[in-house]
Amino acid sequence: MTLDFSAVTPYLHMLLRGAAITVQASFLSLLFGTILGIFVGAVRVAPFGPLRSLASAYIYVIRGTPLLIQLFLIYFGLPSLGLNLPAFSAGVIGLTINSSGYVGEIVRGGIEAVPKGQWEASKVLGLSYLHTMRFIILPQAIRNMLPAIGNEFVTLIKESSLLSTLAITELTMVGQQVRSVTYASFETFIIVGLIYLTMTSITSLMLRHIEKRWTVD
Amino acid sequence: MPNSCDSLSSSSLSAPTALEVRNLQKSFGDISVLKGISLALSEGEVVSVIGPSGSGKSTLARCICRLEEINGGEVLLYGKRIDNARHSNRDIARLVGMIFQQFNLFPHLSVVENLILSPVRILGLSPKEAEEKAMALLQRVGLVDKKNARPNELSGGQRQRVAIARALAMSPKIMLFDEPTSALDPELVGEVLEVIADLADSGMTMMIITHEMMFAKEVSDRVLFMDEGKIVEQGPPENIFVCPRMPRTQLFLQRMLVHFGKELVTSTEERTCPDDA
Repeated sequence: MTLDFSAVTPYLHMLLRGAAITVQASFLSLLFGTILGIFVGAVRVAPFGPLRSLASAYIYVIRGTPLLIQLFLIYFGLPSLGLNLPAFSAGVIGLTINSSGYVGEIVRGGIEAVPKGQWEASKVLGLSYLHTMRFIILPQAIRNMLPAIGNEFVTLIKESSLLSTLAITELTMVGQQVRSVTYASFETFIIVGLIYLTMTSITSLMLRHIEKRWTVD
Repeated sequence: MPNSCDSLSSSSLSAPTALEVRNLQKSFGDISVLKGISLALSEGEVVSVIGPSGSGKSTLARCICRLEEINGGEVLLYGKRIDNARHSNRDIARLVGMIFQQFNLFPHLSVVENLILSPVRILGLSPKEAEEKAMALLQRVGLVDKKNARPNELSGGQRQRVAIARALAMSPKIMLFDEPTSALDPELVGEVLEVIADLADSGMTMMIITHEMMFAKEVSDRVLFMDEGKIVEQGPPENIFVCPRMPRTQLFLQRMLVHFGKELVTSTEERTCPDDA
């Protein structure tokens, strides 16, 4: 067989518009997921028993169930409780919750990697738990966590393709539409794949740059 | 039988009691680490604690500054108990400064930031006041030129001097040193001991846990020998080092002599105390 990309090129702008939606959804989910994840991770190591168990259960459930099922629960399940979310919001919420579980676990590891002496020095200097966390532990933990968080970012961009199942017109969804018009399946999805690769590469490069700057000292 | 070594009282009888520990007990699980420790430090007194590893010296210091919760007994600072949960980290930090073997500086902050964080957050000083105080303390430990350095750019000796300045920035009433020179290369020990001795001269009440016997002998008003969670013997350094009464103290010091060669022997005065035998 021969590959004929000319059938797909007229639809390239549609694919790029889909890619823009993918970037939007991923970026918002990364942002909220990281914030929520840092919170979950910090609670996960809190000295407070019940809260710690709650965070632990949250991480356990999120990491132990498929993202697709989580998305279905939010988009198709919640309406039965009278909560109707627009597809895009449901998608971002689903990705946010999902990534917060993974980020939470990364944050826990990062916090636990900070030497115990840092906690002790903070304590004898009179800092409260929250102050210690904010000024001493998290700034060091985030440095430990950066490579793993970077991986999580890349993973999240790829997993956003599942949003196509909620009929969100992100890159994968548009790819399916283009394929159904052109019948050029192989060509279409090669291009879709290349666009994903470009997005993940740019993300990786940016993160590596940040990592370098943060670990200089 | 009575000899010059028998006196247990400290030199400064008139000074108020700064720190008092009554029948302190601490265990980790089934292992009893402190088996009823009682001691008192007068204001301005410098007490060294010596003894073999595992004797409970560090645990004693950690119980006083509340890094460990105690299982029994009392810790009082100027007559007030500080050992119950009502006292926050903040209350203790205003009273007790603690120096660790591993320095525990904050690696992501500069030297001066290490010194001003707590005074600003806990004592409520303005950043400007805190920085002025920090600079005065850096002057005192001889590290003014390192104010903007990160801890990992400093030698071990410099790090420990910063740690001492950081503790002093909280204006504590008493300083605890938990083997402050044990993690240092031998050539860096001197500069840290110098700072500690200077602090002792300034009238700070201090408890120094150390394996530096020469230093303990020179700087202390009183020396405590601990073994197996108990204070076995205490007294002025010349008594403890020259004529220890308890067999366990004698054994420990003999082992130390082997380590330190003749240093401790040649520098001690003639053994003037009469033999008990």
